[in-house]
Amino acid sequence: MNRGLALVALCALAACAKTVAPGTAPSSSGPIGYLRIDDVIKHHPLYSQLAQYDQNIDALSLGGTVPHAVAGAEVKKQQAQIAKELQDAANRTRALLDQKQKQYQFREAQAIRQALKAGGVSAPGAGAVATQVTQTAGVQSAEASRGAQRDFAIYQKSLATQNESELSAMQRTITDKANRTYRAEQDRLQAKEAALTLDLANKDAAERLALKTKLSSLALDDTARQDARAKLDALDRSEADAVGAMRNRDTQTLAALQTQLRAQVQADMKAQAATINSRALAKLQNRESDLRRQFAAPAMQSTALTAAKPAAAQNLPPALRDRIAHLHADYQKQFTADAQATIDDFQKTRLDLSRRYAALGGADAAAGGDARDQIASLQRKRDELYDQMVEQIKREATTMAHERGLSVVVSNPVAEIRGVDLTDDVAKDVETLHE
Amino acid sequence: MNKYRFPIIAASALAVLISAPAALAADVTDIGFVDQEALSALPSFASANRQLSEYGQTLNRQFTARAKGASQAQQQKLQQQFQSEMQQKQQQLFGPLLSKAQVAIASVASSKNLSVIIDKRIVVAGGVDITSNVRDLLTSPSDPVPPVATPPPSSVGYVDQSAIDNVPKIKTAEQDFATFRQSEDRSAQDKMKAAKTQSDRDAVLKDYRKALDDEGTKVVKPVLDETRGAIADAAKKKGLSLVLDRSMIIFGGTDITSDVTGSIK
Repeated sequence: MNRGLALVALCALAACAKTVAPGTAPSSSGPIGYLRIDDVIKHHPLYSQLAQYDQNIDALSLGGTVPHAVAGAEVKKQQAQIAKELQDAANRTRALLDQKQKQYQFREAQAIRQALKAGGVSAPGAGAVATQVTQTAGVQSAEASRGAQRDFAIYQKSLATQNESELSAMQRTITDKANRTYRAEQDRLQAKEAALTLDLANKDAAERLALKTKLSSLALDDTARQDARAKLDALDRSEADAVGAMRNRDTQTLAALQTQLRAQVQADMKAQAATINSRALAKLQNRESDLRRQFAAPAMQSTALTAAKPAAAQNLPPALRDRIAHLHADYQKQFTADAQATIDDFQKTRLDLSRRYAALGGADAAAGGDARDQIASLQRKRDELYDQMVEQIKREATTMAHERGLSVVVSNPVAEIRGVDLTDDVAKDVETLHE
Repeated sequence: MNKYRFPIIAASALAVLISAPAALAADVTDIGFVDQEALSALPSFASANRQLSEYGQTLNRQFTARAKGASQAQQQKLQQQFQSEMQQKQQQLFGPLLSKAQVAIASVASSKNLSVIIDKRIVVAGGVDITSNVRDLLTSPSDPVPPVATPPPSSVGYVDQSAIDNVPKIKTAEQDFATFRQSEDRSAQDKMKAAKTQSDRDAVLKDYRKALDDEGTKVVKPVLDETRGAIADAAKKKGLSLVLDRSMIIFGGTDITSDVTGSIK
């Protein structure tokens, strides 16, 4: 009892049942017949198109998940690269701020020393200290310059890697898009061809059946038989010609589309590559000019150490003390402004990197979505074609069941012991359906 | 899609089975069928469906709110609880309707001397359509009267696919094949990634399909053959003409599942 309930429930809940109306009872009493529909379907003239759908779905599932998986892997790689770049940028900014601080300290000390000299105040051992400071400043300046050059080289390298990766991802995206366009058109044309084939077969079905019935009559004389055969042949030719003509047109359409897509891919890739390269070049130039600006400042001169300033300032005349305080405030202000510019640069870089990070995620999701949508669409078309083919097979089987006096014909039994197997005969009929 | 993706019995139906000439075929007059889709569209079922759907939406909102911030284990527990509550509601709404439908089907089958009622979806031609009779009974104000006699012995048998799938030998074969397919999927995906031209991709796909077919022939086919043999033997012993999958039988029929599972263990 429960199995019936379960099944009704299943259909009631999911409204899942897709039925194909069985034919009217051919005979109230008679042998049982059966049909293995999935065997017959392999003989259907449209089977190659059904198989093509299956193949495309498989290809897209593999290829579709592949670009998705590849995109995922690629995105992760790029995200890691961006994270590293961000870390590098932060490190560089810190180092730069440190260098700037030292640079401003030296310049301030130099200015104070000059102010002291001008005020007639000489610090103890000022000459010796100045020499030492000059040497230290030179060493530090050279080190800072080397460090900056190293940073620049690293930046240049990471930019090149990122550039390559971006180019490769872009190339894949453009190619995938073109492939999808081509496949979609191919599917559309296939569906159109299948529809025409079915339409022609349905249109001629009655006439074909009448001719076949006529031909199977033993009483038919030779002339009438020849005539019927000729008409049947003419029907076959007419259908084949119509489908053939459409196929030729479709082949040309696809060839033209392929040429167009190839040209488009080339043009798109060229344009995108130019954009990516020019963007990378601009970044590099910016960084280089920053570097030049930072280290093109006058060579640092030896001066009194800033640390000595407060002690010295205690015994200075008020005017000189004010002058020194003013100098200190001035350099402090300059340093703050310069440091702020460096920090702003870093913030811009961080923002740019964050945007790219977000864009990567979005691109990944879109790529995956495209493939899934296309698989779903193909599956729908495939199912529609399958249903149409099954309808046709069932019509043929119903005619045959009438002719053979079968009481009932079922499809796809698990096992058949004493029934009439219609599979091969229906397969033969279906094979000649569109000949 | 690959044929081995379908359940074993479904796949076995595709293969060549024991066939008999028409002369040996027994006359059958007692097979009826029902269009379950038409029955499920009856107002009583549609209303129950609507109520279940509304209940599901409300319950879903409640559980989604409760799942927020819950651990994975708690979320799993909540999911089980959700399913259990949905099943209870389903039983509450559909139980009486389905019992009534089952009595109506049995009653019509009995009055028409039908030994088995199958799903319309597998009927290609012929058979006795009892859908309208059942519908009349279900829409009448009074409850249908259960038949006095049990259904007559039927020449149509059935097997429970899920029970057969659980036979260790078959389960192992299916799992082995599933594992193989997963590995092939990954490998084919890698190759697709490396493929540069369309012909490269076609070749990858061809190899992929061949590998699955070969493995299916090696791992699944022997088990399928054995299952088919067991079903045919059991059917012959019970004098059956035809064996269908259990999901296609609505009423009556002879269950030979245990005979089959017993012989292939």
